[in-house]
This record gives sequence, structure tokens and C-alpha cells, in this order.
Amino acid sequence: MITSTLEAEPLITLVGPPNSGKTTLFNYLSGKNYKTVNYPGATVEYSISKLQKKYNFEASILDSPGIISLIPNSPDEELSIDSLYSHPRFGIPDLIVVTIDASQLSRHLLLAKQLIDAKFNVVLVLTMTDILNRKGFDISLPDLTNELNCNVVKVDGRTGKGIDELIKVIEKNILNGRLKPRQNPIRQNGNIHFDKLIGYYKEIENIEDKVIFKSNKDANPSDLETANKKLNILNNPQARNNIGIDQTTLKVDKILLHKAWGLVLFFFIMSITFTSIFWLAQPLMELVDSAFGYLAYEATVLLGNNWFGNFIANGVISGTGAVLVFVPQIIILFLILGLLEDTGYLARGAMLIDRPLSKIGLNGRSFVPMLSGFACAIPAIMATRTIPNKRERLLTIFIIPLLSCSARLPVYALFLAFLFPMSKAWIAGLVLAGIYIFSTISATLIASLVNKFNNKIIKEVDNSSFILELPSYRIPKLKVVATNTYHSSMAYVKRAGSVILLLSIVIWFLTYFPDYNPQVNSSSMSQEQAEQLIGSERLSHSFAADLGKFIQPVMSPLGLDWRVGVSLIPTFAAREVFVSSLALIFKVTGDKSTLQTSIIREMRQATIAGTGKKLFTTATIIGLIIYFIFSLQCISTLAISRKETGSWRIPLIQLFVFTAAGYILSFVAVNGLRLIGIN
Amino acid sequence: MRTAAELKYGEKGIINDIDGSHPSSRRILEVGFTPGQEIQLINMSAFRDPIAFSVRGTIIAIRKDEASCIKVL
Ligand SMILES: Nc1nc2c(ncn2[C@@H]2O[C@H](COP(=O)(O)OP(=O)(O)OP(=O)(O)O)[C@@H](O)[C@H]2O)c(=O)[nH]1
Ligand SMILES: [Mg+2]
Repeated sequence: MITSTLEAEPLITLVGPPNSGKTTLFNYLSGKNYKTVNYPGATVEYSISKLQKKYNFEASILDSPGIISLIPNSPDEELSIDSLYSHPRFGIPDLIVVTIDASQLSRHLLLAKQLIDAKFNVVLVLTMTDILNRKGFDISLPDLTNELNCNVVKVDGRTGKGIDELIKVIEKNILNGRLKPRQNPIRQNGNIHFDKLIGYYKEIENIEDKVIFKSNKDANPSDLETANKKLNILNNPQARNNIGIDQTTLKVDKILLHKAWGLVLFFFIMSITFTSIFWLAQPLMELVDSAFGYLAYEATVLLGNNWFGNFIANGVISGTGAVLVFVPQIIILFLILGLLEDTGYLARGAMLIDRPLSKIGLNGRSFVPMLSGFACAIPAIMATRTIPNKRERLLTIFIIPLLSCSARLPVYALFLAFLFPMSKAWIAGLVLAGIYIFSTISATLIASLVNKFNNKIIKEVDNSSFILELPSYRIPKLKVVATNTYHSSMAYVKRAGSVILLLSIVIWFLTYFPDYNPQVNSSSMSQEQAEQLIGSERLSHSFAADLGKFIQPVMSPLGLDWRVGVSLIPTFAAREVFVSSLALIFKVTGDKSTLQTSIIREMRQATIAGTGKKLFTTATIIGLIIYFIFSLQCISTLAISRKETGSWRIPLIQLFVFTAAGYILSFVAVNGLRLIGIN
Repeated sequence: MRTAAELKYGEKGIINDIDGSHPSSRRILEVGFTPGQEIQLINMSAFRDPIAFSVRGTIIAIRKDEASCIKVL
């Protein structure tokens, strides 16, 4: 075994410019499924894994955020580059594998040269050689190896082409590196002179001239490689600048970045994205929904009407089922965002709205984090690391929790189904898009207010900059997008199976016990009415009701009662649980209809105790939607906000300001609507 | 001498110099805007800012303000 000759397991770090294919290669080597995106800056954190067993070589492999050069340009870049030299957790790399986009050799070699000059142990991986070939060019590996004095391998991390060769080269270089006395790589000085950079580029241009040649598609390239190359250079000394931009990209950009229509198309694309979530998911959702309704019904029949049967049917099946019926929506949300990400359009979106965003203190680079905020605030807040300006970054983090994340989707979907019956599902789709637009507008408004009036919330000032590569358009790789979607959706399902199941059980417990048996004189009622009366009597004597007494005063101004209040408490751990709580509190099992139909039916019948007024009305539902749009009810978001901003100040402000805003605006909406006659 | 920010839509220019006093100048150099390179203004956002150049076989979008530190012939 090779490992026996090594003292410790070697560490390989993948380094390269943004969007050069690091994560794609990392996933192939490790068998993991980290997200790859056609946008520069997809990875923002180091992640570690082991090389897959099948390569017969034990090593740890580290994926890193893309960097343009070894000289940092922002504190985040500095951290990222420092970790390259010596990662605080994973240590000093034995080998650096640099990924270089072969179709952009002259730009990407800068980093490679810097790493080699800094005396790292380097292996070069040329990615995207397929793109270079399509443009009619090829690279001579022996020449490039000679020029750089390090091993070079062509690899396609999507298909695995060239991986075996890469493993051999990695092994060889690590063993060689271990034989030499270890020297620490040299740090680059932050004040590096302009001329030095220009000098680097001169060298690189020379190298490029020597290694890149026009490939003749009709001939056998391996035979004619050298001949072609020589001819080419002799005949056409200017050839090197003609690698050129992908023609399709230029054509598509003529439309999507049209001087006048570009922005209109941008808003159109965004609206389609969000409306289709509702429309596409509708039929699938009904399927899943009836399955859970049926399951809950069968469980009651099978296990009988005792505490155990009730626990399984309500606590477990309805509780988690209420959340799981929204899996189709979640899948479609991730699928559509994923497709959009993989086309290369996102960088254009960032460019298109840089101007308006910079007016309110954000940056074009805020766009992608904000967009992923519609999926989940946690990765979105981490993604803000690609914003070099500290102030803009903090402001982006500040407003991300206001964007409607996927955990809110079940809640909105339920409310919209309540407001609009099935026959009007298309309106629900439009209103959902409306909610997304509304949450985006309020987020940007709040950003501009904070930026303008309140330097206490965000104090930093810094040079604002927007430099972003617009990658070539691609037809999205369905397999890549599907894998990403699968993993994101599984995470949602797992939450339903863990946190949400747990909370459902707690709520079930609180609503079922102390197992009060009311004496009801049911002689003058139908059986159904009697059951309902018993149900509500039981609930009003439950532990949940005791808890509810404290919440009642807070809920009354919103036209709601303690039952909704109790359902809102667990949402601070997971917003989706609101739907489960409603299902449990309003007791929805007992017949064969779909879970959602039963929840909505029970919601329609619910009245506020003592007054006989309906609990869920158009006004109170709108109020609740508004509450959910604003309030920050997610502990994990607070934790990541604390981590990324470096103190508790911003997360605490977010918690109090947003939750208070949700409450107050909901109050205003409910009572305003009532004033104008909408109940 | 003109700056890249003054190029017209579709116009080409050869970079002559980068104004080192601009805070973004080093990054601009690092992404490939070096003296001698031919650039072309190929895209503009609806607000005419940022603008996108083709440089070294790629498209790079930068703000007008940042483009003004690129001197072209
Ligand atoms: N055509 C082609 N595309 C590739 C190749 N390798 C990766 N890609 C695609 O290039 C895009 C970027 O790949 P990533 O692996 O996310 O790049 P990265 O270097 O991790 O990027 P950052 O994390 O943003 O720094 C994805 O859309 C990949 O599918 C390749 O060899 N050929
Ligand atoms: Mg990556």
C-alpha cells in the first residue's frame, strides 16, 4: 500500500479561479454532491472529503472558493487565501491542484503562475477543454508542462475523463513532495507592483502562443498536433487573440441584455419562475395530499380511537404529512432555480440590476444571494461573501430574511388554497408571485431606509465595486440540476422526519393531554356535532390551552385566538410547523378526503370562543400572510447571521425589527381591511 | 486619450494604460485588462451602467466608473 510510506494522510487542495470547475472535480473525486453552478462564486466555504476508495490512494481533498489571484482584494478573500496557505482546521496542503479553464487560458494562468512562484507543490488541471475544442483550438500538454515546469492533465469533472491520469500524477507529486524537505510557500505582498502583474501577463501571453494551436477537425489531431501548431504560428502570428467568445452567447446576449428590453425580460423571467412553482406543483401536490389523507384515515380505523391510534394518525401522519404534501412545490422551486443557475443567466441578472441596487446601498452581486434567499436564508447569507464591499455585504445579509424562503411556501400555499378554491388555482399562482414580489419590494425598501437613515445599524464604509465575469450560456445539464434538486428536497424531507416530527409530537402531546373526558349531553345533536363539541371541550382543557392563555392577549388584536398563537410558537424552530400545528389543533383526521381539504374545512368552521365569530376570514388570513412575510422566525437564520456578521448586533436587530414589523403591519392590515368592509 | 467608459456600443479599443489611482485598478488588471489587449464594448445594462467588455475571450462586466480607469487608444 502506498499509504504505508506516508507519515500522515496527505491533503490535496483544489484551487482555481471562479467558475473553473473545482467543485465539479471535487464531487467526482469524492463522490459527494456539492452544488455546482454556472456563476462565478458558487462555492464560498472550504469543504473537505476523502478521495473515493476506488482510487486506491488515501488522501483528503479540500474544495475552496474561487480566487482570481493570490493578492486579496477584500477581507473575505484574504481569509480564503490565508486558509490556502494553512487552513485553521485542515492544515497545510501537501499538493495544490489548480483548475484552469482551458478556453480562458490567458486569464486563468495568472493564478497558476502565482501559485507556482510561491513554491507550492502544484499540479495543473485543464478543464473545459471541450469548449476550447469546439472553438477550433487545442492545447499541447507537453509544451505547457515544459513552460510551467509542473504536471498538467486534461480532465472533465462532469464525465470523469482524465481522472485516472490525474490520480497517477497526484500520487507521484505527493510522494515527490514528501521526499524533499518541506518549505513554506511564500506569501505575496499586498502592495505588489503593477509592473509585476503586467510582467506576469506578458509571460503568460508568451506561453499561450507556444501551447495553443488551431485544431483541424478533419484531420487526426494527435498526429498533426505539432505540425499544425508550427504552421499556425508561422502563418498567423496574430492567431492567439482569436480564441474568441462563444458566438451563441453573443447572440443570446443581444436579446437578453438588450439595451431597452433587457430589464423587461429580466422581470418577466423572474415572474415566470415564481408563478410556475404554484402551477406546476398543483397536480402533483394533490396526489401526495390524498395519499396522506388516506393514510391518516386508515391509521385511525386500524389502531382504533385510543391514545395510540390518535398519536399515530394525528401526531405522526397528519403532523408531518401536512408539511410533506408541499414536497412537490419545494422540488419545483429548486428545479427551476437550478435550471436558471446553470444557464449562466444569473450573472447577467446581477449586471442588469447593479445600478438600481447600488442606489439603495446594495450591489449587483447581492442579486444571487437574494435569489437563493427564496430557497433558504442560510446558504443565501453565506453566499454574500462574494460581495467585496463590507457595507453592501452587511446590508444584503440584513434583508435576506425578508425574502420568502421555501419554509414559508407551505404556509402561503395553505392560505392561498383557503382564499381561492381549487377552480381558481390560477389566481392563487398569480397571488403567490405577488407575495414574492411584495416581499422583494419590502426588502429593498427596508434596505434603502437602513442605508439612508441609519448608520447605527450598518456602520462600515468602503470602496464599492462591481467586476463580474459573464460566463458563456449553456444548456443546463439536467443530471446536475436534478441531483442538486434531489439533495435539497431530501434535506426538506429529512427536516420533516426530524425537527418537524418532533415538534408535531410535542404539539400533539400538548393538545391531547391531560386526556380530559368531557361529559356532553348529546341527545339533541347529530353525532358529528357531538364529536365536534367533545373535541373542542377536550382542547380547551388541554395543556396547550393553558399555554394559550398567555398568548391570547397578543393574538386578539390580529383577530385571532390562542389556537393560532400556539401554532405560531414552534415556527421559530421551523416555519413549516405552522401547517402541522393547525392540522393538529383543528383535528383533521377521520375521513378519506385529502389532508389539505380537511384542514381547510376545519379552518372554515373554526369560530372564536365566546363570540361565535369566524376565526379564519379573508382579513385574518391576509394578516397572517403579512406576518409571515416579515417576521424572522428562524433560529438557524439568526445563528448564521451572527456567524457571518461577527456579532449579535445585526441578528438581534433583525429579530426584533422584523418580527415587530410583521406584527404591526398585520394588525394594520386586518383592521384596515375590516374598516373598508372586508372581513 | 479616451477611457473605456467612453467607448460606444460595439466599439473596439486597445488598452494603453491603467490608472493606478483607482481603488479597483488592481483587480481590473488581474481579471485581464492589461495594456496592449484589444477590448470591445459588447453589452450595456438598461441603465447604461455597468457595461460589459470582451477581453481575452471572455465577457467581463464592470461599472462605468471602473471602466474610466482603463485608458484606450
Ligand atoms: N463544458 C464543461 N463544463 C464544465 C466542465 N467542468 C465544469 N463545468 C461546468 O462549469 C460550471 C462551473 O463549475 P463549478 O464546479 O461550479 O466551478 P467552481 O470552480 O467550483 O466555481 P466557484 O465555486 O464559483 O469558484 C458548472 O456549470 C459545471 O457544470 C468541463 O470540463 N466542461
Ligand atoms: Mg465551487
